[in-house]
Amino acid sequence: MGDLRKSSMRFFSDQNLCYADILPPSEIRARIEVAVLNFLRILASPTPAISDLPLINRRSSNSRASKGLLTQVSCVFLSHSFCTRSLMRANTAKAFIRVWKVMEMCFGVLVQEKRVTQRELFYKLLCDSPDYFTSQLQVNRTIQDVVALLQCSRYSLGIMASSRGLVAGRLLLQEPNQEVVDCSECGLSGHAISGDLNRLETLILNTDARYIIVVEKHAIFQRLAEDRVFNQIPSILITAKGYPDIATRFLLHRLARAFPDLPILALVDWNPAGLAILCTFKFGSIGMGLEAYRYACNVKWLGLRGDDLEMIPEQSLVPLKPRDLQIAKSLLSSEVLQENYRRELEIMVQHGHRVEIEALYFHGYDYLGKYIAKKIVQANYI
Amino acid sequence: MEGKRSGSQQHCDLLRKIREFTRAIVEELSNGRSPTILIDRFRNYCTNPNANCCCSYDLSYGKEILTFRKESHVHRLDILLRVLLIVQQLLQESRHGSKRDIYYMHPCIFSEQSVVDQAINDICILMQCSRHNLNVVSVGNGLVMGWIRFLEGGRKFDCINCPNMAHPIPVQVEEVKDIVSVARFILIVEKESVFQRLANDQFCNANRCIVITGRGYPDIPTRRFLRLLIEKLCLPAYCLVDCDPYGFDILTTYRFGSLVSKWPMMQNICVAQRYAGLELFLQILKNTVFLSSASFLLQEKTRGKLNPC
Repeated sequence: MGDLRKSSMRFFSDQNLCYADILPPSEIRARIEVAVLNFLRILASPTPAISDLPLINRRSSNSRASKGLLTQVSCVFLSHSFCTRSLMRANTAKAFIRVWKVMEMCFGVLVQEKRVTQRELFYKLLCDSPDYFTSQLQVNRTIQDVVALLQCSRYSLGIMASSRGLVAGRLLLQEPNQEVVDCSECGLSGHAISGDLNRLETLILNTDARYIIVVEKHAIFQRLAEDRVFNQIPSILITAKGYPDIATRFLLHRLARAFPDLPILALVDWNPAGLAILCTFKFGSIGMGLEAYRYACNVKWLGLRGDDLEMIPEQSLVPLKPRDLQIAKSLLSSEVLQENYRRELEIMVQHGHRVEIEALYFHGYDYLGKYIAKKIVQANYI
Repeated sequence: MEGKRSGSQQHCDLLRKIREFTRAIVEELSNGRSPTILIDRFRNYCTNPNANCCCSYDLSYGKEILTFRKESHVHRLDILLRVLLIVQQLLQESRHGSKRDIYYMHPCIFSEQSVVDQAINDICILMQCSRHNLNVVSVGNGLVMGWIRFLEGGRKFDCINCPNMAHPIPVQVEEVKDIVSVARFILIVEKESVFQRLANDQFCNANRCIVITGRGYPDIPTRRFLRLLIEKLCLPAYCLVDCDPYGFDILTTYRFGSLVSKWPMMQNICVAQRYAGLELFLQILKNTVFLSSASFLLQEKTRGKLNPC
């Protein structure tokens, strides 16, 4: 069924969709070598020139929405518009050099058959070429440039995601030839999701849960895990502690594929950032648009939503900040956002306030579990 | 004031203290008198910069007196009693809550988070205990891996089977039991990225040790866990930090406690430590240290770190 889904997506948007391949290290090294040889060939030709680097554009202008034809999963993907990094233009010259430096570093990492995190790459580059790299954000963007240039996934370049997500609840995980880990016995903190995508791919999963609950915040996850909400409502809790990283999305996608009958419900704050987090789990992101679309899941919005506001005392309403309004604007302009989410977002902006999930504690500590149970039983999710 | 008593014993003591405190107030009121509540004041910096810093940081230097005669005091006491009620509930139900959760229970009355924070500090001073004794905790942030095995609240943390797998440090440190270890030393690292690098390089395979990180400034559960390990296992502890003011600040936090907290929880956290000077780590240091030859200029903020007073 998974293959059918994949091929249907290709059929629907094959001409438009750009994707990053997941390849073994030898192939990536070959691609890097080809890039270098091409550059040298043009440089050493009778009419020498410094060729530009064509990168797939990672802006919203190049993003397209794919509304699943045979599946209910929509996603955001990048199309064939290119932007170039050129040494000849003053404002992109440094960016041009950064791309080559990162490629050199990644080649070295692949030759040694190691894996590094983005943070370690930042420190190495900082020591190596302090003139060109000044911040982690710059390094992350340059890595995405390399991904866009070579059209291969970040993981294939030897860059490992860091472990950030947590999972708890009625799930049994087993790495091949290791002990079974029971996520309902993991205490307050849950089980840490590894950053190594290969390890996540080979996990053996077993569950008797009926729902998967995605939680935005670590504090809420801890509260639900402590109260063992997953025993009262048979479920699996998963959190990325904020904006989801690839590893958490990967695991969620695996769970969705392995157990397709389990509805995936999201519990986020009532603010544009919360909705943005939900949308990242649901559709993917533009920043990592070449890979992120693969892990899109059919996530439904459980709470907090506009009709829950009547349960919240006025003092818990906090005014929206300019950053919130910015996020709202960019979400509203995205074509993949469905109609009912758009309405909720407009109500949010009109109301001018945001609410955190903790506001529900006004009714007592155990109210959150009851709230979730009630909503699930009423199938009150969109 | 960590005793060797068990967690439930401490809970009972605290509940008793809360009851006595409330009874004292009610008695005073029924006799027509305004209750007087004394809250010790503590300093969190050295008063004599020339002295050898063995100053008595754990003695109070005065008391604040709260009565019903001043309106601001009444308001403060009102908040304190409400928070105390919530804390009592947490202790009775053996639940944990965060400071934020407590704020949201009565957001109309607690107009701001800082008000709740002050009330919790006052309660800690009055009951002579730490915040975690009141079951007010935040999310856990530390990680541990290596040659150690222990039980926490019925769950087994068995790092010995795969010594390079990271586990979150349990938040309820009083529930940690049956610590078994074959490690020869404890290594504390400042940064999560260094911790992950050690894990990926299978550091614990070549070295019999326990590696801990607080992922930056260590939180209370990490520091308490470290102290528990040192007490039970009597192992030397080495600390690996960046060679910058933040690194030294983190080192001193592990060693002496936080400068920010007013109540001297320091006696809980003091740990005998040595600076990591092992040859083994110079390679890692080279990649993580801002070498002076790279002419890294100290920013104002980091300069401020050097003069906390």
